[in-house]
Amino acid sequence: MEYGKQTPWEKIRPYVFILPAMVFLAIFVVYPVIDLIIRSFQEWNMIKPPKWVGWKNFAYNFRKREFWDSIKNTCIYTVSMVGIGLPLATIIAVWLQKSTRLNNALRNVMFMPHVIALLSVAMVWTWIMNKDNGLLNIVLGFFGLPPLKWIDSSDTALMSVIIVAMWKALGYNVMLIYAALQNVPAELYEAADLDNASRTSRFFKITLPMISPQMFMLLINSTIGSFKVFETIRIMTGGGPGSSTQVLVFYIYKQAFQLNKIGLAASAGVFLMIIVGILTGVYFWALSRKVHYQ
Amino acid sequence: MAHIRFENITKKFGTKTILDNMNLEIEDGSFTVMIGPSGCGKTTLLRIIAGIGPQTSGKVYLDGQDISNTAPAKRNVAMVFQNYAIYPTMTVRENIEFGLKNNKVPKAERDALVKEISEIVGIADLLDRKPNTLSGGQRQRIALARAMVKKPKVFLMDEPLSNLDAKLRVSMRTELIELHKRLKTTFVYVTHDQTEAMSMATNIILMNNGEIQQIASPREIYTNPNNLFTAQFIGSPQMNTVSFGEGKGCYGFRPEKVQLSATAPDMFYTRKGTIVTKEMLGSETIYQIRFDNHSIMVKSLDDSFSADSEIYMGVNEEDIHLFDEKELRVAPEDARYAAMMAQL
Repeated sequence: MEYGKQTPWEKIRPYVFILPAMVFLAIFVVYPVIDLIIRSFQEWNMIKPPKWVGWKNFAYNFRKREFWDSIKNTCIYTVSMVGIGLPLATIIAVWLQKSTRLNNALRNVMFMPHVIALLSVAMVWTWIMNKDNGLLNIVLGFFGLPPLKWIDSSDTALMSVIIVAMWKALGYNVMLIYAALQNVPAELYEAADLDNASRTSRFFKITLPMISPQMFMLLINSTIGSFKVFETIRIMTGGGPGSSTQVLVFYIYKQAFQLNKIGLAASAGVFLMIIVGILTGVYFWALSRKVHYQ
Repeated sequence: MAHIRFENITKKFGTKTILDNMNLEIEDGSFTVMIGPSGCGKTTLLRIIAGIGPQTSGKVYLDGQDISNTAPAKRNVAMVFQNYAIYPTMTVRENIEFGLKNNKVPKAERDALVKEISEIVGIADLLDRKPNTLSGGQRQRIALARAMVKKPKVFLMDEPLSNLDAKLRVSMRTELIELHKRLKTTFVYVTHDQTEAMSMATNIILMNNGEIQQIASPREIYTNPNNLFTAQFIGSPQMNTVSFGEGKGCYGFRPEKVQLSATAPDMFYTRKGTIVTKEMLGSETIYQIRFDNHSIMVKSLDDSFSADSEIYMGVNEEDIHLFDEKELRVAPEDARYAAMMAQL
C-alpha cells in the first residue's frame, strides 16, 4: 500500500484501541472533577435541590478559622513527611546497602509496615501511645523522663500522628530508594575512590544525582499523599483534641458527611486540588533540571 | 615513572582463590599488556594495583614504596574502566576535574590542566556537554582525559577499547601507542584481544587460571612461546599441534609458516594432505587441511588451491616448536630436542 494513504478504518483504529481506557478515565476522573467544581458553586444538603450560590462557599471557608487551622496542620504534616521522612528513608537505605546479615534481615522487616493495614497500625500505635500504660511512656519513664500525653493532648497529637504515618511510609520509601541505589554502577564509586572523593562528595555528586528520578517521584508522591492524608487522622484522633489534628481532607469529610454541607466540602476540595496542582508545578519547574534521567 | 612489584599476592573471593602467591614485576615506563582468557585474574591484578579490589594477602610496591594498604586516591595511579565509568550526571568538564577538585587544586591551575588535556585527546569542544549526548569514542576520550589530568605515575586500563566498533578500535590503538610514547609513563593494560596486546605492548604478561604463563615482548612470545598454552593463545588461527602419542609431548607450527605446493617441496618437514575447507579473507586465505587424521590450519597468500584437492605442506626446521608431556617448551638447547625432532 502506498505511504500516506489511509483507509477510514486505519484512521480511527488507534482511537478505538485507547477507547476503553479513555471511557474509564472520563467516568472516574474527568466527570467527578467537573462535578466537584460545579458543586463548589452550589449550596446542597443532599435533600433539597442544589442552589447556585457563586463564590459564597469559598468565601465562607476562607473566613473560617477551622479551615485555616486544617490547612496549617496539613502543611505541618506534609513538611514533616517530606522534609524529615524522605531524608530519613535515604539515610536508612544508604545504610542498608552494606550486605551484612543484620541488614539482610532489616531490609525485609523494613517493608512490613507498608504491608500491614493502616487500621491495624493505627490501633497498635494508639495502644503504644496510651498515656497511662503505653509502651512509649514506659520507655520514657525508664530513662527518667516525664510521660507524654501523645494523642490525648492538643500539643502533641499532631506530632504523634506524624510519627505513626512516617513509620508506616518509611519502609516503602526505603525500599524504593534502596532499589535505586542498587542500580548505581559500582565502577562509579571505584572511579570516585581513585578521584579522592570524600564520603559527602560521593553522596552529593554521585549517589544523589544518580537516584534523582526516583527521589523526584517520591517527593511528588509523598507531597500529594500527605496533602490528602485522612485515614490515619480519622482512626487515631478524629481530628482532635479540639481541631489540633484536623487536616484539609478531614475538614472536607466533616463538612460533607457530618454536617451535610456538600457545597462547602466541594469548594475546599477544589482548593486542595489547586494547591496540589501548584505544588507539583513548582516542583517540576524548580527541580526538573536537576533530575537526571538516563 | 614507576616500577610495580607484586610480592606473594593472593586474592580470594570467598573460598575461591583467583591469584595464589603471585610474584611479578612491571617495568618502569613499559606498556605492559596483561592478557588471558576470561577469569584468568588479569583484571583482578589491575584492581589490586588500583587499590579498588585489595589483595587478600601479600604486598604491592610502587617505586619501592609499599602501597599495599594505601587508599586508591593516594597511590598516584589512574584508571580507565571498561565501560568508562564516566559520571553521567556531570558535564565533561566536571568529569575531568572531579579528581582535581577533590585534591583541592586551585581553579586557575585546574582550568589550565583541563584545557591542555582536553586538547590532547581532542575533546576541547565537548567540555560543556553531558556524557549521554556523546558517542562511544568520545566517552572513551573523556575517560582517558580524566585519567591523564591527574598526571599519574601509572595508567591502568581495563579493556578500554572493547566497547568501540572495529574501526575506532584500530585508530584508538594507534593513539594509545602515541600517548604512551609522549607521556613515557607506565601503562598497565588488560585485554583478552591478542591483536591489541601484540600491537601495543612493549611487554606482554600472559595469564591463565591465575598463573603467569609467560612474560615477554610480543615478538618473543610469538616466536618462542614458553609452553603449549602460550603457543596456542597467541596467534590466529592458533598454532597447529600434532601429538607424538600418549604422554610423549607434541610438536607444533604456526599456520602462516606452512608453505603449500602442488608437488613435494624440499623442506625439513613435509606432509601430503587434502584441503577440506577454504576461507578467502582477501589479503590471505585460510585452508583447513586434513592428513593422517590430523586437522591443520594454514594461512597462505596463495588462493589458487581449491577445496578437496590434494596438496603438499612444508615447514622449515626453525618453525617447528616442540613441547614435552608437561606441555612445556623443549628448546633447541634442550637435551631432548634432537631426539624429538628425529621423530618427525
